[in-house]
Amino acid sequence: MSIKLIKDHPILDFGHEEKKMVTFTFDNKEMKGFEDDPIAAALHANGIQVYRITPKTERPRGFFCAIGKCSSCFMIVDGVPNVRTCVTPLKAGMKVETQKGRGVLKSEEGEER
Amino acid sequence: MVSKRVDVAVIGGGVHGCSTAYHLAKKGFKTALFERDYISSGSSGRSAAGLRYQFGTEVNIRLAQYNMKCLKSLGEDLHYPGDLEYDPAGYLWIAYSESQLAQLEKNVKLQNELGTTGSKVLTVKGIQEVAPFLNTEGMLGASFNQEDGHINPHTLCFAYADAAKALGVEINKKITVTGLISKGGQVAGIHTNKGDWEADAVVCCAGAWTQNIGRWVDLDIPVIPERHQILITEPVERMKHPMTLCLDDGSYWKQCPNGTFMLGVGKEEVKDTSFYASWDYLEAATERILPKMPILEHIRVVRQWTGPYGNTPDFQAIVGATPVEGFYIDCGWSGHGLQFAPSVGRIMAEIVNGEKPFIDVSMFRYSRFEEGDLFFEPACI
Repeated sequence: MSIKLIKDHPILDFGHEEKKMVTFTFDNKEMKGFEDDPIAAALHANGIQVYRITPKTERPRGFFCAIGKCSSCFMIVDGVPNVRTCVTPLKAGMKVETQKGRGVLKSEEGEER
Repeated sequence: MVSKRVDVAVIGGGVHGCSTAYHLAKKGFKTALFERDYISSGSSGRSAAGLRYQFGTEVNIRLAQYNMKCLKSLGEDLHYPGDLEYDPAGYLWIAYSESQLAQLEKNVKLQNELGTTGSKVLTVKGIQEVAPFLNTEGMLGASFNQEDGHINPHTLCFAYADAAKALGVEINKKITVTGLISKGGQVAGIHTNKGDWEADAVVCCAGAWTQNIGRWVDLDIPVIPERHQILITEPVERMKHPMTLCLDDGSYWKQCPNGTFMLGVGKEEVKDTSFYASWDYLEAATERILPKMPILEHIRVVRQWTGPYGNTPDFQAIVGATPVEGFYIDCGWSGHGLQFAPSVGRIMAEIVNGEKPFIDVSMFRYSRFEEGDLFFEPACI
């Protein structure tokens, strides 16, 4: 899949020329994105717009405030729920998953008790 | 200004004021309630909203038995359309020393003798069974009751206030009581910023603010305000975790029905009714609780707030008549008062009506302080 990103922005410089392209997974599908871009931006560039399903009404949620305030982009990243993907930098090998509901806390050993 | 007339004026729109007004109206008293801000805006709505059978003195245990029975079906009984979020997820008191464990054993024994069911003493293995996420290091044992739990403190107040209103009680919000009317040495009503109300009796349910009201009739009511703080986290899926209270440092935490965790810790606090929260409390609570519940490591705290306790010298309530005729008080609950609204609201109405209370609360009498007859509640923090 081609990556959809703005190349020439009138004000912002994304520094993509210097950034490394890394591989991560979204719901077990392999994807590519620029390292240290916000996870949500990397997903958006890959055409992914639904990041979580809300607990009560089970509605889809995606990019919204983009500054780490609104809870719309909460996802499970490397097993940790409620990660604000709009302000969390992408790293190589990250396991990003759609969050359904409130998120389940896991103990250090990774088991759900 | 022409003053209005009621039989009884109740000061305070917390849970005790609302329940007292409801029970007074049930007995046919024309009642008016006065709240300076909104219903539940004082300590009630700010409380950690714990409900429990587990107390350590006879009067509190007997009252708790009645409270817990009422709270289970209170929403339906008061025809409240909202959700009281009654949630019996259990309540653990954890001992870190032999003397703490001995006290917990004593409490459970007394509860059982008085007919409480479900309270028991747990070994460390027993603790792990009811609260599998705890780091039990340093714990010696606990007392536990699975029927104890949580309620929404706001809807609890609203339920009583609405039920009182349905029985004709005048619920006055955003009205400040500014004084007591005295006639011939007895209280005969209240002054407010919106005029006067004459009343045959005034019931003060002003919690941590009670001292200010007592001064108007020259009573020095020994209720000392003390700031307490609470943190709340983002919600996560429900886990097997009862309300947990550690006796080594007064730290406690529980998961509310909506998935949020509520956290607090015992700490030297300012003695006032201010609503300002502090950074050091956030640090103290998280530093104490995270080692005891490591799974909370990545959870985010989203809010912190305060609410004042109204502490008495023996951390027991003051309930009943005062040396000033026509002036009754229900205050000084020292941090465990919310859950006592069902029983004590009823008892306040009985006392105002000249009846014998359905549970003996003479231990709570105002005069015990000058008589030197204090009795400490061991099961409170």
